[in-house]
Amino acid sequence: MTDRRSRNEHIKEASRQLRGTIATGLADQVTGSISDDDQQLVKFHGTYLQDNRDLRGERTRKKLEKAYSFMIRVRLPGGVVTPAQWLALDKITEDYATGTLRLTTRQTFQFHGVLKSNMRATMQAINAALLDTLAACGDVNRNVLSTANPHLSAVHAESLILARTLSAHLLPRTGAYHEVWLDGEKVKDTSGPGSGEEEPIYGKHYLPRKFKIVVAVPPDNDVDVFAQDLGFIAVVEDGELIGWNVTVGGGMGMTHGDLDTFPRTADLLGFCRSEDAVAVAEAVLTVQRDWGNRESRKRARLKYTIEDHGLSAFRSEVEKRLGFTFGEPREFHFERTGDRLGWQKGPNGRWHLGLFVENGRVADRPGHALQTALRKIAEMHRGEFVCTANQNVIVANATAAAKRKIDAILDANGISIATSSGLRRNSMACVALPTCGLALAESERYLPSLVTKLELLLAKAGLVDDDIVIRMTGCPNGCARPYLAEIGLVGRGPEVYNLYLGAAFDGSRLSKLYAQDVREDDILGLLAPIFERYSHERKPGERFGDFVIRAGIVAPTLQSNKFHEVPQLAAV
Amino acid sequence: MASTALIPKSAPFSASEIDALNSIMGGSSREQLAWLAGFFAGLSAAANEPQPVPLAPPRARPALTILFGSESGNAEGLAYAAKKVANKQGFDARVVDMADTELSSIADAKRLLVYTATWGEGDPPQRAADFYTALMSDSAPRLESVKYAVLGLGDSAYVNFCETGRRIDARLEELGGTRIADRIDLDLDFSAKASNWTTSTLEALRPADGVSGARVVHVDFQQPLDGASPQAPIFTSDAPLEAEITGLVNLNGSGSTRETWHVELATDAAGYVYKPGDAISVIPENDPELVAALVASTGVDADPAFVQYLTQSADITTLSRPLIEKYAALSGRSELAPLVSDAEAFQRFAADRQLIDLFAEYPARLDVQTLKGLLRPLPSRLYSVASSQIAHEGETHLLVGAVRWHSHNRTRNGVASTFLADRRKIGDTLKLYVKPNRHFRLPTDSSHPIIMIGAGTGIAPYRAFVAERQTQDGAGKSWLFFGERNFTHDFLYQLEWQDFIKSGALTRMDLAFSRDQPEKIYVQHRLWQRREEIRHWLAEGAHLYVCGDEKGMARDVDETLVRILAEPEHNDSDAGKAALKALAKAGRYQRDVY
Repeated sequence: MTDRRSRNEHIKEASRQLRGTIATGLADQVTGSISDDDQQLVKFHGTYLQDNRDLRGERTRKKLEKAYSFMIRVRLPGGVVTPAQWLALDKITEDYATGTLRLTTRQTFQFHGVLKSNMRATMQAINAALLDTLAACGDVNRNVLSTANPHLSAVHAESLILARTLSAHLLPRTGAYHEVWLDGEKVKDTSGPGSGEEEPIYGKHYLPRKFKIVVAVPPDNDVDVFAQDLGFIAVVEDGELIGWNVTVGGGMGMTHGDLDTFPRTADLLGFCRSEDAVAVAEAVLTVQRDWGNRESRKRARLKYTIEDHGLSAFRSEVEKRLGFTFGEPREFHFERTGDRLGWQKGPNGRWHLGLFVENGRVADRPGHALQTALRKIAEMHRGEFVCTANQNVIVANATAAAKRKIDAILDANGISIATSSGLRRNSMACVALPTCGLALAESERYLPSLVTKLELLLAKAGLVDDDIVIRMTGCPNGCARPYLAEIGLVGRGPEVYNLYLGAAFDGSRLSKLYAQDVREDDILGLLAPIFERYSHERKPGERFGDFVIRAGIVAPTLQSNKFHEVPQLAAV
Repeated sequence: MASTALIPKSAPFSASEIDALNSIMGGSSREQLAWLAGFFAGLSAAANEPQPVPLAPPRARPALTILFGSESGNAEGLAYAAKKVANKQGFDARVVDMADTELSSIADAKRLLVYTATWGEGDPPQRAADFYTALMSDSAPRLESVKYAVLGLGDSAYVNFCETGRRIDARLEELGGTRIADRIDLDLDFSAKASNWTTSTLEALRPADGVSGARVVHVDFQQPLDGASPQAPIFTSDAPLEAEITGLVNLNGSGSTRETWHVELATDAAGYVYKPGDAISVIPENDPELVAALVASTGVDADPAFVQYLTQSADITTLSRPLIEKYAALSGRSELAPLVSDAEAFQRFAADRQLIDLFAEYPARLDVQTLKGLLRPLPSRLYSVASSQIAHEGETHLLVGAVRWHSHNRTRNGVASTFLADRRKIGDTLKLYVKPNRHFRLPTDSSHPIIMIGAGTGIAPYRAFVAERQTQDGAGKSWLFFGERNFTHDFLYQLEWQDFIKSGALTRMDLAFSRDQPEKIYVQHRLWQRREEIRHWLAEGAHLYVCGDEKGMARDVDETLVRILAEPEHNDSDAGKAALKALAKAGRYQRDVY
């Protein structure tokens, strides 16, 4: 029988539990790169090899190889760091990366531009801050999200605890991480023939593809639970957490032009008691491990496993492994996917500041010294910082006195808490060019200026203060979850995007393709009349994503797996 | 003169040949005939035939020692040129390099000609430092019987112009020597003046009963007779090669703080020969904008010919003390007096200024002749050749760091580097000639390992070295240490080094990028990290090379090498120095620093 498994399956199998030849590759000074196979393996360690694509054109002529560097992603379940950790990360980017911090859509920090020669020093500095990067990328359980800010209620605190517990429980057990990055000592290599298994959950081949888990506390859907492989939605009775509604099979990624790939919103699997959550997660993950497609990586996410086997078969298998059955899902209600920005007083009397960070980029710009401000806050702050899944940050758990100081610091550095427009504060973009190897078009570097132009249209329509969710990605893989945005823009090529409309504000319904291969002028021209109509024709409280469906501008995506189905082609 | 039958009929030629010979020789002067006599004697000697017995014993030729201390090879060139002239004039001349000799070797010289350069801020040439120190020391021998003369070479852009020549001249006198001719201090335009000085000084050195009147016609029979002599390159500063630029690219990535140009030139002309380690002398042109500014600031009535002179032939940037002296006198500006009288005041003024600043700050109207009288010739610039004539057939490659800085509200541009970077393009020509550097050479035995240490443009000769060794069977292992600022943008020739490593032409490479991490890492740090292996390579006969900036790198590398060699000797620094010096004496520690 021919082995039809994908190349990555062979790489994992031969990797001696993620070791490969990474250590040898790091020692080779004359290239900033590592071998192709190792490039796949380092992802499991939380890092990608990238190159500056802006510079590709000139490099060969200058007798230089590509401008390689690494992106490093921190594992940070629930997104909470102490001020000391914030300062340590700030120092790391100053010393070894681009100097700025990037908050991601998965509640964590990314460093860009780290040279191979600095990789071990950077990993060690992250480790010294009591953080790690293990499994932040790769075919494993990725960073686990939790509804932001554990201080808002006991249930929020439980949400963070579950996120951390799941992350720890599903962490690869290989000693490779320690060995390669930290002290170079062989911790343990039980991967050889005849020796014991190093990975009790993952085995030699890990998962077929990435696996994303979140924990949500309604009415906030800030973690975009329907976009995830596995979700836990808190079920609360009389202020007490009694268990979780479990969702499975969400995911954003697709491939342009391949209708067998599609974004999908998660299905409800059932209800579980709070103490069973970890066992449920492990069972869902191992079924995906065993059933998932290992031949085509495009079809390897859990959403396709569920499509291919059917939800009930999948549920039965999970229940079989668990030894119990799920309860009926309880009712729940989400209001929004966005963050609560501005100061908010928590039940314990402490203050929490939701601070908008455009595209998650913590940097100083002229007149807007956000990085400096946050560094200064970290130097005096006694609470925590919480990264949100919307690429924002919460300065959490401040006393009234500290709140005044924080306001003064923000003011002195030109940071206003009141953000410009409802569109901008609900905007999100992936990193894309120049570092992301997948990007087909600009995203982070472009969205702010597009929003500025859209704001002019919104101002004309009297919609400046209305919350409208806009998300952009440079490719269809969907890091910024664009198919769950009321206005979604997905890169097709340089300066060319697909425009999607009609997703639900609460993150429960996917959008629909409205216009293909449009440029900026088209985007502005298409949206201007829709904004005008929305302004004049909307019902009280009607969201933009719902209006475009009621108005017949796009068809709704009514089923989780019917993203590509268009009852009637939209006239463009 | 009437033709006479010189060749007897008994000569071993046919009758028609004897007639032909007589038709040429019959009209010859005595001198021509004497020359032919010597010529044929030499030919036969060169062919190892038994020497014909001379009719009369030759007169003893007076011995002459020609001593040189050279940095870039100019003093060395003059010394060998002097030897030729001296031998023609009947001397028995030998050339001695300060770098290779002990002071005692000149103690019993009767006649001594000294050609010495000055390096940097008034120091002796690096390789001559030991000799110089010995000469200046209290233990130097008396030189009562020595008749001598000194020629100093220098660059009037430096305050202590020709300092080494001046000091040697004074010291030889102190030691009892007799100065036979006044010292001459020459600037970059030394060539003709040096030749005249040599001729007249040799005249003065000639013994009273000596060779006067007789003219010895010197023929060097070791040289091929067809004219192409490696000793006398056919391309010189006066007759440079005009080479077409076939490649011109700034190797630094666009995020770099550096600007380093790789220049490729078509140099397939017959007689154009260089070796890895040699320098290429590039004849630049001045920036037309600077020429225009100079014309404007002096009010000189510049016709196109004069503009061309300013652009192509005159040094219009260097602010030398002699120039200020002349300018002060002719402009009648009393404010300039302190700059003339006070060396420190001059240095402060000249530190970051150029000629244009002098004219702008102390304007005076100048006419063409006066301005011409102020300016010295435009010097050529040396660049270590970055190619191998074997590996890069018909080509010459240079690596040129663009020099740009800002001072006193003006943007300054290095003359030659920005001539290439800004005003030359592919297809243009560049005037150049080879400046051999026999002090920076691959091991004669190519199986010897080499350790190459360089920073910035100091990597250029190593590209030539490694490319050349790639063509040699059985070439020994090689190790390159390279330093620059940033890995991503400043790794000069990165792809080529990767290929050299793949092919085995380069055995290993260690890199030091100073600005890639919080702490500065330089090549000397890498050397120290690898010290055990370096000692091991040296034990295996490795040759060490250092190329690059003296202050920025070579000095620290030198100190580190001393430490590395001292470490097994209980960290005795003197032992380390002695070991390094021994390597240098053996030709296994060679430096090309600037």
